[in-house]
Amino acid sequence: MGKRVLVIDDSSTMRKIVSRSLRQAGLDFDKILEAGDGQEALDLLAKENVDLILSDINMPNMDGIEFLRQKKEIDGIKNIPVVMITTEGGADIIGEAKELGAAGSIKKPFTPDKINEVIGGIL
Amino acid sequence: MNLLQSITDATNEIFETMIMLDITAGDPLEKSVNSFKCSVSGVIGLAGACKGMIAIHTPDTVAKAITGSFLGMEVEEVDDDVTDAIGELANMLGGSIKIVLDSAGKDVTLSIPSCIHGEEYSMDCVADADWVVVPFTIDAGQFLVELQIKNS
Repeated sequence: MGKRVLVIDDSSTMRKIVSRSLRQAGLDFDKILEAGDGQEALDLLAKENVDLILSDINMPNMDGIEFLRQKKEIDGIKNIPVVMITTEGGADIIGEAKELGAAGSIKKPFTPDKINEVIGGIL
Repeated sequence: MNLLQSITDATNEIFETMIMLDITAGDPLEKSVNSFKCSVSGVIGLAGACKGMIAIHTPDTVAKAITGSFLGMEVEEVDDDVTDAIGELANMLGGSIKIVLDSAGKDVTLSIPSCIHGEEYSMDCVADADWVVVPFTIDAGQFLVELQIKNS
């Protein structure tokens, strides 16, 4: 079975752009799943297996930091790598995400090359 | 802290890397603009050491052109894709300005982006704020990027 990725972002535009950038970067995922916030992502992960999660930070309902906090307590999904894709490029927030288990971060705006550089090193 | 240059650099970077449209920055406006017709405005609020907002104001035709290039598809009307795309543009601009403010010791937080679209509307955000409005031109027309900021 091919690899599966979950893209979490409250912006449908950004979910489409990330999906397109993954293809442009030559990263061949069998399936790209989408969620609009952290809670929606946790609900989806209770039913679906994924190999990688790409998550925004600044989202309504449940933001990316709280998503990381809850995910790391759930057996079965706590070891799935998460890459933060965010406008929040500050060291504090990225540091907090990494302390909570984020495997990397990509600042918006980004290029497919940047996606490939970060995600290629994780998969 | 040169906010005018920061706005220009951030807008150029977003259009070069993700929207793939050539843009030209104009001279900053001498008067603020707070009423708009047949336009889409993406807005993100600033709170913390400074309060204010960053907005992008685009006529409908320009918003459709930007969204079409952003998403790589034909856009015929101002729909949810357009308002979401313009809101996300504001979000990315806000992120870039936040980095500039943070590095100057002004720790700010960003709101969730919002978008306004209508035949005629006005916006009046922060009283007594410093402001800068920069016009940018693409083939489809002109749009404005606005920053209003005031020390808390």
